[in-house]
Amino acid sequence: MSRTKVLLVDDEVEFASALAERLELRNYEVKTANNALEALGLIHSYLPDVVILDLKIPGMEGIEALKANKKFDSSIEVIMLTGHGDGFSVEEGLRGGAFEYIIKPVEIGELISKINLAKDKRNKGNT
Amino acid sequence: MGNGNKEDLRFLQLNFIGRILAGFTHEIKNYIAIIKESAGLMGDMIKAGKWGKNEARQYMEVIASIEEQIERSLALFRHLNRFAHKMDTPRVSFSVNEGMEELFALMSRFANQRKIRLETDFQKDLPPVQSDPAMLQFLIFCFVREKLDRLDKDSRISLKTGRSDGAVTITIIPQGRLVEAEAESPCSAEIRQHVVMLLGGEITEKDHEIQITLPLNMANL
Repeated sequence: MSRTKVLLVDDEVEFASALAERLELRNYEVKTANNALEALGLIHSYLPDVVILDLKIPGMEGIEALKANKKFDSSIEVIMLTGHGDGFSVEEGLRGGAFEYIIKPVEIGELISKINLAKDKRNKGNT
Repeated sequence: MGNGNKEDLRFLQLNFIGRILAGFTHEIKNYIAIIKESAGLMGDMIKAGKWGKNEARQYMEVIASIEEQIERSLALFRHLNRFAHKMDTPRVSFSVNEGMEELFALMSRFANQRKIRLETDFQKDLPPVQSDPAMLQFLIFCFVREKLDRLDKDSRISLKTGRSDGAVTITIIPQGRLVEAEAESPCSAEIRQHVVMLLGGEITEKDHEIQITLPLNMANL
């Protein structure tokens, strides 16, 4: 069975690299991007199963990046990363096609569970 | 100034404090998120049996990252603590440069969100002023926030301090394309004038540059 491909998009470089390594230790294949341009490039070249997307990335609002991702391939599932108090953005993101959201600081077990559910949804959509 | 405007001022001051706290908590949460993931990563590595000499360098890097986030958090905590104590007394001797540096540190998140750089150009050896530091920070916040709302991405806002005859000057210099504000600033010209009057100073505006002149001693007015 192929490993789940995850694209992690967050402008906090240390956060993204530490979380990426934690996911890799759990047998996920992970790439990171620290801005919207890099993220959109990787969505096209890396073709992830799941994108974990910070709503406040530089270069583009996270919501716009989400919509661009969905336009490219609607089956790539997006989990939004957000802080408390971003209720409006979360609502807008879910309306824009995000699969789920997760609040920072991240609970790794919760994130894993959401990634797996997102991958299942993508698999079902592709069969 | 009527009672209605006094209530407006009180509301705007509370709003100012709320905004500063919101920015602060968000920044701290980001730092904590990095610390949490870094600590989690070390735990994962130990569980995976990765604790030999080969991994020592990676552990050191993760520990350095944790220390850096703690330093960043402490710096922001120090700024917030000083900011809170500025409200202890409405008339005190303080350094304008320190007050402005603190304000910019606490406002950095709003500027980052708008992709605008905040810069300072402080005159060294500026004499302390006897005034209301919290009210001064509120006034500067009003002006800078308005510029943040109106400037294009990748612009800059410089805050310059200087000394003139018996006074200190604070100049806010926007550098970039200014667009019309989507909504009128809640901090109206009347409120700003009232605040600067309370501080015994004056506001001058030229080509979008704003200069606030503050007397060295409010008590001598």
